[in-house]
Amino acid sequence: MTEVNPGYIELDEEMSSKELDSSPINLLEKIKQEGRVWDDLSEEYGVENPDPPWRISLESTCDALAGGYWAPFNICLPKDERKPVMADDKKIDSNERRWEEDKLVDEHYADVPFPERQLLALAHSMIRRGLIDENELAKKMKNVDKRLNIGYDD
Amino acid sequence: MSDDHDHEHEHIHPPAPMVDEVSEFEVLEIAVRELAIEKGLFTQEDHNQWTDYMHTLGPAPAARLVAKAWLDPEYKKLCVEDGVKASLDVNIDWVNTMPTKFGTPSDYCNLRVMEDTPTLKHVVVCTLCSCYPRPILGQSPEWYRTPNYRRRIVRWPRQVLAEFGLQLPEDVEIRVVDSNQKSRMIVLPVRPEGTEGWTEDQLAEIVTRDCLIGVAVPKPGVTNNAKRPVRKAINPYKH
Repeated sequence: MTEVNPGYIELDEEMSSKELDSSPINLLEKIKQEGRVWDDLSEEYGVENPDPPWRISLESTCDALAGGYWAPFNICLPKDERKPVMADDKKIDSNERRWEEDKLVDEHYADVPFPERQLLALAHSMIRRGLIDENELAKKMKNVDKRLNIGYDD
Repeated sequence: MSDDHDHEHEHIHPPAPMVDEVSEFEVLEIAVRELAIEKGLFTQEDHNQWTDYMHTLGPAPAARLVAKAWLDPEYKKLCVEDGVKASLDVNIDWVNTMPTKFGTPSDYCNLRVMEDTPTLKHVVVCTLCSCYPRPILGQSPEWYRTPNYRRRIVRWPRQVLAEFGLQLPEDVEIRVVDSNQKSRMIVLPVRPEGTEGWTEDQLAEIVTRDCLIGVAVPKPGVTNNAKRPVRKAINPYKH
């Protein structure tokens, strides 16, 4: 665990130096093109819940990834009140995640409804930050799909 | 009522409809979460704690706070002066009930209750991201997160409120309040006419999420938020 922003680094400088590689990711592009969104599924099946059942889990993943730490850059705080916090490279600060979500949605996922776009943006951020790998995510998805649609091997 | 009747009754109602297929997005959500746990980014227990907490959230406590404030001038005063303390009366503890025990990573423990008057209307936004008083109001709606709302409500509040169906007279001042990581806001709207003699429960029913954000005002008979289409911003959002 390392201390970040020990010297109250200016937000603009820090954010610009942490520009995310927002180039498209093939796996996520494929899901964007072929995935069935909740708006369509709920209409087809006559379900009235406005949110997919996995939305709460997604929100929990975002909060768990933030790890309970305050934002390293405290971007919404006045400059004189920004404080250094403890963080590590396994966490994604909530503000950074939201900024990246805005950028990624704008560039790639603008036509995808919410919360599907939030999920695609989170996966995109995690891959580009090196927290997970595109190939292992594809492999894991195959595994999950098999479990849910076919079941476990006897 | 006999057991036979109960048995027959069970067969009269068909089961509630359900989505009988697994979407790629559902698979992606599970895969991302499981990989994160396998890599030690967080634990299953961390995730369970957040999920349990999230399931307790919704707009009901904030609606109850407003209804109580309408009925009790002293409580209204407390709401305006100390929203966090007033929240305790609707069973929301901004500090100690979170999984972290010191608030959440994205919900700072400072609630401000913005009181409307007949000539002053508040509306809440987070221009920088999507800060929202989740502990007392639940998850933010999709439109609240969009750059479209965040940019435009500040520049053209009267026109954007009109897009939400809220047309205010010219003599009503509109004050846009910007949420941030230090403070979260809810709106305490003016109690509408036609609610004289109502109970706290009746009043709480008409205080919808949109009224608490400030893009709607309470009306007798209206207990749901209108569904909003989300329009893409004309000019892309740049940092």
